[in-house]
Amino acid sequence: MAILVIAEHDNTALKGATLNTITAAQQIGGDIHLLVAGFNCQPAADAAAKVAGVSKVLQVDNAAYEHQLAENLAKLVLELGRDYSHILAPATTTGKNFMPRVAALLDVAQISDITAVEAADSFQRPIYAGNAIATVKSLDAIKVITVRGTAFEAAEQNGSADISSVDAAEDLAISQFISEEMAKSDRPELTAAKVIISGGRGMGNGENFAMLEQVADKLGAAVGASRAAVDAGFVPNDMQVGQTGKIVAPELYIAVGISGAIQHLAGMKDSKVIVAINKDEEAPIFSVADYGLVADLFDVMPELQQKL
Amino acid sequence: MSTYTPPLQDAAFVLDQLVGFDQLCSDLQLEEVNSELANVVIEESGKLAADVLAPLNSVGDEKHPKVSDGQVQETEGFADAYQQFVENGWATLTGPEDFGGQALPNVLSTAVNEQLHSANMSFALCPMLSQGAVEALIAHGSDELKAQYLPQLISGEWTGTMNLTEPNAGSDLAAVASKAIPEGDHYKISGQKIFITWGDHQMTSNIVHLVLARLPDAPAGVKGISLFIVPKYMLDDQGQPAEQNDVSCISLEHKMGIHGSPTCVMSFGDNGGAIGYLVGEANKGLSYMFTMMNHARQTVGLQGLSISERAYQQALQYSQERFQGTDRDGGKIAIINHPDVRRMLMAMKSGNEAMRALAFTAAAEIDRAHSGNSNSKVRVELLTPIVKGWMTELAQELTSLNIQVHGGMGFVEETGAAQHYRDARILPIYEGTTGIQALDLIGRKTLFDKGAALQQLQADIQATAELLSNSENEKLRQLGAQLDSALLISSKASQWILANTATDKQLMGNVSFDNLMMMGYLTGGWLLAQSALKAVELQAEDNNYGDDFLNAKLGTALFYAQHYLPRISQHAETICSGLDQTFALDIEQL
Amino acid sequence: MKILVAVKRVIDYNAKVRVKTDNTDVDLSNTKMAINPFCEIAVEEAVRLKEAGTASEIIAVSVGPKACQEQIRAALALGADRGIQIETEDSPESLNVAKLLAKIVEAEQPELIIMGKQAIDSDNNQTGQMLAALSGMPQATFASEVSIEDGKAQVTREVDGGLQTVAINLPAVVTTDLRLNEPRYAALPNIMKAKRKPLDVKTPADLGVELKQHTQLLKVTEPAERSAGILVSSVDELIEKLKNEAKVI
Repeated sequence: MAILVIAEHDNTALKGATLNTITAAQQIGGDIHLLVAGFNCQPAADAAAKVAGVSKVLQVDNAAYEHQLAENLAKLVLELGRDYSHILAPATTTGKNFMPRVAALLDVAQISDITAVEAADSFQRPIYAGNAIATVKSLDAIKVITVRGTAFEAAEQNGSADISSVDAAEDLAISQFISEEMAKSDRPELTAAKVIISGGRGMGNGENFAMLEQVADKLGAAVGASRAAVDAGFVPNDMQVGQTGKIVAPELYIAVGISGAIQHLAGMKDSKVIVAINKDEEAPIFSVADYGLVADLFDVMPELQQKL
Repeated sequence: MSTYTPPLQDAAFVLDQLVGFDQLCSDLQLEEVNSELANVVIEESGKLAADVLAPLNSVGDEKHPKVSDGQVQETEGFADAYQQFVENGWATLTGPEDFGGQALPNVLSTAVNEQLHSANMSFALCPMLSQGAVEALIAHGSDELKAQYLPQLISGEWTGTMNLTEPNAGSDLAAVASKAIPEGDHYKISGQKIFITWGDHQMTSNIVHLVLARLPDAPAGVKGISLFIVPKYMLDDQGQPAEQNDVSCISLEHKMGIHGSPTCVMSFGDNGGAIGYLVGEANKGLSYMFTMMNHARQTVGLQGLSISERAYQQALQYSQERFQGTDRDGGKIAIINHPDVRRMLMAMKSGNEAMRALAFTAAAEIDRAHSGNSNSKVRVELLTPIVKGWMTELAQELTSLNIQVHGGMGFVEETGAAQHYRDARILPIYEGTTGIQALDLIGRKTLFDKGAALQQLQADIQATAELLSNSENEKLRQLGAQLDSALLISSKASQWILANTATDKQLMGNVSFDNLMMMGYLTGGWLLAQSALKAVELQAEDNNYGDDFLNAKLGTALFYAQHYLPRISQHAETICSGLDQTFALDIEQL
Repeated sequence: MKILVAVKRVIDYNAKVRVKTDNTDVDLSNTKMAINPFCEIAVEEAVRLKEAGTASEIIAVSVGPKACQEQIRAALALGADRGIQIETEDSPESLNVAKLLAKIVEAEQPELIIMGKQAIDSDNNQTGQMLAALSGMPQATFASEVSIEDGKAQVTREVDGGLQTVAINLPAVVTTDLRLNEPRYAALPNIMKAKRKPLDVKTPADLGVELKQHTQLLKVTEPAERSAGILVSSVDELIEKLKNEAKVI
């Protein structure tokens, strides 16, 4: 039994979710090969070789894979993947994009967004926005799986796998990368951040989010918001944490002036440690918080910034 | 601020199980309309009500419309909401197809209106008044007037108002003094009208005023009043609003509630006379008003349900979030677990469901009456004062209970509980006070036909009580016994009225209010008992409602029977006393 | 241009999800159902393309038991021109749905297929991609902006950390993200008209598709509940706890 994991990378470095996916592969058990398909991606392949638990890195270096376009990448994985028992990718927007194509072309199901491995063919995955957990058994010969990174530890990076170059490139030329606009911020992005500090309607206005940003900078944290804060126009949509926004599970989640509507809780309740700061002691957020501080956020935030 | 969730399931239940919506549509020969469509309609209107109108409710309460230079500026946000209301076609619901309407049954529009008034009564009053103008034009307008004004009124592009009341002509419209002087093909109207709901605003490109006024040679009293159309902007050759007519809003009332609805003092003819067009025949204005009265009064009764439903939802939510007291393990107790709070919630829930059953049933009778069913005509006449009088009175109690559930927080404005209470207070007043409804019920609707219509209703209630009493379900049998007893007690009081008040107007007036309330609790209880019967029947088969809902229906009816039906005894006792001490004191002694 | 939109009947966004006590599945009996929010966005996008003159016809398809005709009617009320229901049992697997849709695509030859990025019940996020692969089409998932020009669709996609813009040859599959548009409310006259719009019913056999089972649902459980922690009394205590007890800063 061998497992093919598709690395997510930007040609120069591996994305963190790849490491979590390797851990999921290790829990399934078997020989783990890590595919790095990209363009001028030697640095990424080198990084892949260092991931503990990986026995072989497959490197495909071709302009067709520079931006991991789903059509080309899926075709490649289809060709390489037929002899594996499992094909895994992180459940990131990249993994979610190409993997179902692989599954369909292999005529197998995809088990999406797994959060636990129960057996080599059975997995847990959240459904209904995390309001229920399904245990699903795959009946297919090849199991195509995407892995929720936050549910698995990151693999160590002390390995030394061989890199073998594969020449299998084909550009279907039906899709084309035009441009990319990544959020320009020194802060980490919400879904990858280890620490998140989010503000709610209690922030009062958009300007007050500067207080959160200052604390975030001290903690290397990303800044998020509740739907109420987004709806009130304090901050843009892409900061929304919740059922209809980003689903996050950082090590530390600090909710500031957020009451804790069920929609918001659905998006952050898997965080390892939750801190709630709210002046309303009845706020539902306190029922999920590990540490609650009943106080006025306008007093707490400056003090926190100063003392961290 | 409170949110609003349209009670879709109960509305669907009442439409399907009590009204018999599919049968009604087939009787009305509406081939494409059925309960499936009705469910889609109320679901979509519910979205608009909950998402667009409900959030504006407290805004209107806090930021009142303003008047300057004769023009009213409505509360911010209302114009956008109105635009969306019109774009989504909700104004067209019952209008005739010839003029762009959807020709849907009145009872479906009642279900939609319940939501609109729950979400934002101040807002919903505007299309409600337009609806009155539409009905008047359809019934009495010339083809030319219909062609000029109906399509835009039905689409909602223009709104309509009803200009009846004057400083000296309130409940007694015989005193209307506004003048109409003939001039060519039109009339010059002058006079002052007060309490004109949505008399002016900037939401639409025109406003169509329906105005009661007297011709120079008109007989005195009620038989000398004519009805006119007075547009805010005169129509040009293309039928588009052009030059402004001689009509303006000279001030706004400072009211206790429904602040978002501008209540205007309208002045016609300050500069020589507003141009108006006669609707129908001269001197028949007041009788034309009566043709619309049943519908208008039922709609105000419906507002009693709407505001009580909104109040209930708020109380239900608050009572689960508010913790007071501790249990044996030291855990905090949500106040919903305290018996007295639960009693208030059940009083609200059972009262609301009884009102919904009554409002929809009465609305469907209007549909049946329109299609020529003579029994329904009689039933509409009997039920209308009950819907208007009893439901708006009950709304006072239920919106007050919401404040009580909130405790001190209900008395401060911040929670919004007070707004519902204040808004509700107009309901037993406008469109005929409770006193007028009570006299209508006891006089024109009971004594006039010597109790014939009443006896038909009593026979229907008796039939339901018998079905319940013969049920295999013990709780239904119990309910049957309670309904039967209430009917017996009320029938004795009704007999007393027929025997003693026909020739004694003062006695009739003394007991009229108690008669109204007694009949309200009785018909509400009857329809809720019917609902319980249906709910139990449905549980034996595959159904769309689920056990939770159906069991709750039975429980709600049983609570009503314990909480509200005994009030019938009290009112009956008062009636049979003749309340003859009402005039025991001289005015000087009061 | 002809647009095919797929819509799924799912639990209403606001309804509470209950797990059956025997842990076999989620209990949907008497639960309020609605059109999947992402599918509603897909319908809205198609309608806007039609209003802009880009599209000429919109076909709404749903796969499921008869009840899903309600969601097709909802799409018709929002502006789709005709509907197709493919009759199956509840909860067909994504791959089977993709195969059925692929047959419709083959028959109807739409130039654009717009679907929700995922259904809020199964949260799979895969049917659109599968359909694209089976039909040999390119795809643009997680769309937040779509423009059609010269036989191509230029689509801005919401990817982790930002936005990516791709151009894809038509015919293609686009799946919608939350911010692509804000769906309108159905207007009353359109609800009435929707009743008169054609709605075809087909079976998998009609389409020559044999449904296969690829997965088995072993159990469904409630998620582990978080229990409330402790209240701290000061910022100092909070920092101390986070440093020394939770060890997260």
